[in-house]
Amino acid sequence: MSKFHLVRRADARIWRTLLFCFIGIVISLTIGAVILWVLGIKPWEYYGKMFTIGLIGNKYGYKSIEGLLKIFVPLLITSLALSLSFKMRFWNIGGEGEFLIGAIAASIIAFHSTGTPNFVTVLLMCLAAMISSGIIGVAVAALKVKFNTNETLMTLMINYIMLYVIRYIGETKADWNFFLREDSKRAKFGTFPDSAVMGGIHFGKFNLLWSVIIAIALTVIIYIYLKYTKHGYEISVVGDSSATAKYAGMSVGKIVLRTMFISSALIGLAAALTVSAAGTISDTITNGVGWTGIIVAWLGKLNVPAVFVISILISILQYGCQAAATQYPAIDINFADLLQGIILFSVLVADFAANFKIARKEEAKNA
Amino acid sequence: MKKLISIIVTAALTVTSVFALAGCNSAEGGESNSNGDNGTVASQDDGDEPVTPVDSDSDFKVGAIYINSQNDTSGYTYAHHKGITTAMKSIGLNPDTDLYIVDNIPEDDEKVKQAIDQLAGNGCNIIFGISFGYINAFEEKAEEYPDIIFSHATGYLSNDKNFNNYFGRIYQARYLAGIAAGYKSLAIGNNNIGYVSAWGTEYAETCSGINAFAMGCMAVNPDAKISVYEIYTWGDQELERQAAETLIETYGCGVIAQHCDSAQPQIVANEKHVFGCGYNSDMTAEAPDSHLTAPIWNWDAYYATAMKAAMTDPDSFMQTVGNYYEGLSAGLVDVSELSKNCEPETAEAIKLAKDLMISGEWDVFSGVKLTFSGAAGSVKVDKVNDALVTNAGAEIVAAGGASVDDGVIQGTMDYYVAGVTQVNN
Repeated sequence: MSKFHLVRRADARIWRTLLFCFIGIVISLTIGAVILWVLGIKPWEYYGKMFTIGLIGNKYGYKSIEGLLKIFVPLLITSLALSLSFKMRFWNIGGEGEFLIGAIAASIIAFHSTGTPNFVTVLLMCLAAMISSGIIGVAVAALKVKFNTNETLMTLMINYIMLYVIRYIGETKADWNFFLREDSKRAKFGTFPDSAVMGGIHFGKFNLLWSVIIAIALTVIIYIYLKYTKHGYEISVVGDSSATAKYAGMSVGKIVLRTMFISSALIGLAAALTVSAAGTISDTITNGVGWTGIIVAWLGKLNVPAVFVISILISILQYGCQAAATQYPAIDINFADLLQGIILFSVLVADFAANFKIARKEEAKNA
Repeated sequence: MKKLISIIVTAALTVTSVFALAGCNSAEGGESNSNGDNGTVASQDDGDEPVTPVDSDSDFKVGAIYINSQNDTSGYTYAHHKGITTAMKSIGLNPDTDLYIVDNIPEDDEKVKQAIDQLAGNGCNIIFGISFGYINAFEEKAEEYPDIIFSHATGYLSNDKNFNNYFGRIYQARYLAGIAAGYKSLAIGNNNIGYVSAWGTEYAETCSGINAFAMGCMAVNPDAKISVYEIYTWGDQELERQAAETLIETYGCGVIAQHCDSAQPQIVANEKHVFGCGYNSDMTAEAPDSHLTAPIWNWDAYYATAMKAAMTDPDSFMQTVGNYYEGLSAGLVDVSELSKNCEPETAEAIKLAKDLMISGEWDVFSGVKLTFSGAAGSVKVDKVNDALVTNAGAEIVAAGGASVDDGVIQGTMDYYVAGVTQVNN
């Protein structure tokens, strides 16, 4: 029998978490530095480029910011949406699938929108995406509420179903397939008409997409929703104990259905904003936010402002890794992904270490 | 907490707008600077000889977008990366400092556009994209960055200023490989020749390769029958393997050719003691007892031409290089060194056919067929007027008519020639 066991620290402190995370990042960067050194690259130069997302010496720096924001917006909204469902202990890991449903629905509108005013089209795309993703979310929630099915498996499977649906659409040249470019012999996703491509506010050459503003507004709304509304309170009670919620006279089923609708619909919205900003769809349009969003939500402890900050940091990490790798012919994305993985892993370990400690088992218990 | 959010939001907005302004300023400075530099480079060289740069930090930068990693050790991306680095060295650029790569970019317009922005931001003067699906992004970004040359492999779009496409007459090399296979089929007394193909008549790229290979076989062995097994994907090692096994075991093929990514069909041929022609690289190493020769690409032939033109005078790139579709004559395609498994007549026959194609005297898809006869040492080639006919009996080119190689370049070829049968559907 082991003499040690894990105990949650009674005094969770923010400074300790931050300190541990900092140590974790330093350790992971050191590991990366050793690899870089072996490859003959000066680590500090590489990291400098990585953390400044390659802005220094960049002819089109504003493009880098735009690119960063395009990664940031879907990640933020998806992470917030996942936090909503995680808060009531509903393990929605179907972010990828829900995102793709939204993306497909929005694209159907987009490809048929020639002539419609831009604002109307984008609004319709958002609505279509939110409703279709929301329905799938509710369907999974309903199965859970009615038959107590395992939502983790159900949502996970949706990811794969939708991935193959979009691949099928992307690879099938046929008369019905309006998603594809018509003049191409090979199957290739087409681009949206201008009416479906999102605009923004111009600051000089920099184009601040509306989706960024929407995402920030959503962050505030979700914060208020969770903190100051009855719905938000209900979610946290269901999360703490659904028996308590029931005893307090709350309709647990209704709360679960409603929250899952909102959660999936938000992911659908993220998808609509993403395809509209990209002006096209593809089978890699999610950029993995359904998965990364889970990490962001947990690193942020499901706390809205924290999720916001962590989304920014992860976006910088992702974009910066690619920007730095571009400048070194020897470094490919596999290294960048490896480094990201090491950093995220060590942060998660650090977070764990900050909240738990190893304690010696008390003798009394053994006796 | 409300305050906290508003502070964060304001901070985020401020930071972004500050960066935005900074970005604009540096962008303007950068553009004018690079124009000036291009001008100087232009006056320094205008000959066909490899350029010896004045010093290695000439400002010319090459950008590349790869579908896989530059650290691959075989395959499509490897071939292009090797071509780009070889070409850079030959014209005096340093691939370690002048080459910018964004790798593992899927055929996703948004990701390709971001990759282009990265490369443009780093000051690349020419950007190569090697995968077909980059086409939309290249078309769009070529307009956005008129000072950068965009060069897209396997595509069909271009503009008249700074956007071209490039590919090659690999069918010419396949014809030569067909000659090697034809001699082998005569020697082993088996007229059945197999062909593992990614796609069939859906793409001109695949069916033109099959047709040229078949015609090469039949130029030597008029009774040769080519059986095509389509695997419906550009690369899947397991399917490639199964296809080769089926062709050998069920259809009794004695030579296995291929148009797919891996060396699996050749490995199977080696295991089953039949013969084969690989693709993309000399696969003799993978199949030492069975491999004859493989059609290969020498991409550096194109990359050197394109880079030189872009360095010399980017404004006339579309006049000097334009849409590039070369073959044997430019050295863009060839067959790998003939292995010891080849029949003795092979080298001579290939040389004869190659000369005819290089001189432009004859091309594969015309109304004239070549026939080879004679033993090693006295192989001779005869030209016979004979119509180009599909395997359904339709006449494409009348006897003696001109080549329809345009159909390959423009991607309209969608038939198999007589002698070819697809065994699966």
